[in-house]
Amino acid sequence: MVNIIKYQFECIYSDNFLDYTFLAINMKSFPLDLTNCDKEPIHIPGKIQAHGFLIAVNVDSLTVDFITENIADFISAAPKTLLGGRFEDLENLLELSGLLLPLLKLGQARSSFDTINPYPLKIDSKPYYLIISLSGPLFLLEFEPVTLQYDIQNLIGKSVSEILAGNNLRSLLYNTAKEIKEIIHYDRVMIYKFLEEGHGEVIAEVKEDSLESFYGLHYPASDIPKQARELYKLNYTRIIADVNSASAAILTFNEEPLDLTHSVLRAVSPIHIQYLRNMGVESSFSISLICGSELWGLIACHNYSPKFIDYKAREAAKLIGKIVSSALEYRKEEEESEQYNNYQDALNRLSLQLTKDGDLLTVLMVQENILKDVTGATGVAVLFEDKVATQGKTPDIDQLKDLFSWLQRTVDDAVYYTHRLPEVFHPAKEYKETGSGIIACMIAQDSSELIVWFRPEQITTIDWAGDPNKPAVAAQGGSLCLSPRNSFEIWSQIIEHTALKWTQTEIANVVKVRDKVVTAINKKAGEIRILNDRLKRAYEELDTFSYTISHDLRTPLTLIKSYTELVMVTNKSLDEDGKQLLGRVIAGADKMGFLINEILKLARVGRMEVDMSPLDMDVLIKGVLAEVNFTREGGERAAVTLGDLPVIVGSEILVTQVFTNIIGNAVKYCSTAEHPEIMIGGVDTGEEIIYKIQDNGVGIAIDHQDKVYELFKRMDNVKTFEGTGVGLAIVKRIVEKHNARIWFESELKVGTIFYIAFKR
Amino acid sequence: MITSPDILYIEDDPDFAFIMNYAVREIKDDLVVSIVEDGNMAIAALKRFEEDKHRPKLILLDLNLPGISGLEVLKKIKEIPYFKYVPVILFSTSDDVRDVKSSLESGANAFLTKPDGYNNLIVCMQSLYDFWFNQNRSIN
Repeated sequence: MVNIIKYQFECIYSDNFLDYTFLAINMKSFPLDLTNCDKEPIHIPGKIQAHGFLIAVNVDSLTVDFITENIADFISAAPKTLLGGRFEDLENLLELSGLLLPLLKLGQARSSFDTINPYPLKIDSKPYYLIISLSGPLFLLEFEPVTLQYDIQNLIGKSVSEILAGNNLRSLLYNTAKEIKEIIHYDRVMIYKFLEEGHGEVIAEVKEDSLESFYGLHYPASDIPKQARELYKLNYTRIIADVNSASAAILTFNEEPLDLTHSVLRAVSPIHIQYLRNMGVESSFSISLICGSELWGLIACHNYSPKFIDYKAREAAKLIGKIVSSALEYRKEEEESEQYNNYQDALNRLSLQLTKDGDLLTVLMVQENILKDVTGATGVAVLFEDKVATQGKTPDIDQLKDLFSWLQRTVDDAVYYTHRLPEVFHPAKEYKETGSGIIACMIAQDSSELIVWFRPEQITTIDWAGDPNKPAVAAQGGSLCLSPRNSFEIWSQIIEHTALKWTQTEIANVVKVRDKVVTAINKKAGEIRILNDRLKRAYEELDTFSYTISHDLRTPLTLIKSYTELVMVTNKSLDEDGKQLLGRVIAGADKMGFLINEILKLARVGRMEVDMSPLDMDVLIKGVLAEVNFTREGGERAAVTLGDLPVIVGSEILVTQVFTNIIGNAVKYCSTAEHPEIMIGGVDTGEEIIYKIQDNGVGIAIDHQDKVYELFKRMDNVKTFEGTGVGLAIVKRIVEKHNARIWFESELKVGTIFYIAFKR
Repeated sequence: MITSPDILYIEDDPDFAFIMNYAVREIKDDLVVSIVEDGNMAIAALKRFEEDKHRPKLILLDLNLPGISGLEVLKKIKEIPYFKYVPVILFSTSDDVRDVKSSLESGANAFLTKPDGYNNLIVCMQSLYDFWFNQNRSIN
């Protein structure tokens, strides 16, 4: 993790100029704590790494304004004699007489030293690279040894084709780590990716076998603070050659500090050095991976002994970094477009599905995962017409209902999403494993119908490289101070209540789903409305029809009967046989007349406007009992017991008809019992008033129980009783008209209990 | 030729008219029933009655008539001051409460559902006769 963490506690550009100046001059006393860590001026550490030396020359006056104290280790000159000295003397000392100034002028003219760097030279027969850059009003001259140990430039071609051989992001990154390790031989090469919350993860690793793996470990955001990322965006490579070598101080007479933003030798924050030491890392090298102008990640190389690779090797590594970066962008687009296609596919399947018949819930859920896959969700739940259906992993039904009602209470928008549901809705803590992130879309405007997609806690356990909460330790005086972690043992932490963020695409998809579903519902509703209208019309026609038929049939029937009777009365020559035969004609006409009357009654129920009022059931039932034919055979023997007769609300005429029918049936069908008994009573259940009419009559056979309400249907065991089979059909229609319920319990030869439940 | 009847029966169905004739005779030999087939004829007959200063004791009016409906006829009868106090009884196959209601609202003095069969018709006419001709003779 060396390079990645390199700038952990280094701070860059301060917003506050006063801080800048102050800190620049008082580096050593800069007190780090949690409130000002991001102000540490890491670009002006006042020191460099000691494997090279630095000289800063004023652009205009060409005076030597800064020099590092270790210069004597490389050239035979006392640093203090050089400082403020003449440029010619400097050229001579560097064995660059008459050469250095043209180089500087050339770079200055081109505003870039890219083509000059690195400038090879020899001092005291030893080869060095000179790297020139500008730092404000100064030329920064940095000298570092040439090793030529890793001639990557020759290997780059092969490496790049190896790297790009992989056909997905994962293999691209793995190949990158592998190739980098092969060409610069660090003990460990990792690809580190920055995640959305600022922390990062090792997503590819190639290492010496003896080392423990860091693959999959997460590093807290504080390991790579934002300002450090900025430096990685400016300088694509960074080397720390030896964490144990003492830094070389920069000497100057100036009061202004030396800006080392673009320096290759820039010293490392002591805290970061400590951090690396704690890991046992002695040197590090990192290459920035940039995707869409953002720092996507790093190629981080660790070595467990001091290691230095020279400028050319680093430039070659930088080139690989750039190639990988562009491949990354391309692959990312590819993968995004693949993802997009998957979403599109799911959306299309859903659209197709919605055109099919059937209730919406079935249509949405019948095909495996079709709804879920519209987003990267792991589960989805649909509330539709008070029914709940789920796909994938979702909270349980009670939790869902609870969540739905919360959404209905609190959410006004058509689409609502959060990736931290348990934080806004505490009961969700119970099912954070399935539902830390949700997108909810309200189908109906009153949000009585909705779809919710679920995502689990992002990674229920994150394997941290050490305890991420440990960088802060209490300092004297009680303030929190930053200190590098000293343990990199895997430290598992639960990232609580947080799911992967929903992307704009996913949210857009949910909006699309909502549109599609709403359109489908409206279409279906339209269809249903048309069907309903047709049905209603058909019903009305049927009622009119049966009314007319019954009415018009009566006239000829009356005539048949009248003429027959007239014949019987007026024709004196008619003998007994003739009279008997004509009597049969009259009986037939009567039977038909009775049927017509019954149909007429049934038709009237349909046509009648129900005039609802509270009914005194005591009066009503007693009236019915008085009317019901008790004189029928055995009927007068029936013992009637009345229980409570609570008031119900209904149409007096219709309710009377219901009780007349049911009680009439009870009387009729128990007339053959030895001791006919009828019990009538009602109970108030709070929601309904349920009347119970019980007899000990012939009963209804189980297999006929669903047929009793059918028109003209008569049960086998009652063929000997008078009846038309219209009564219960009328009863059912009246009951429906009252939004009441009717059902019965019955056993052959034991009796029947009818229940009628009226709404309060 | 329509004579001066005791009962004016407005009925388009010749069968009902035929049976009614029998029934009325059964009740009282000299009871005179005039039967007209539709509303217009009924009004015309009544106009003539008025001229002759003859007032029927009872008007039986079928509800379903060709041309102008029974209810219209009823209203027209009640508009003629001369017949204002002649009882008009609606006589129909219907027993629909709405028919009953609208008839009474239009000024019918009673609504009778046509009895079922000849025997019942006799019973019905007998009761009508007893009520309107005997018991309430003072009305006429």
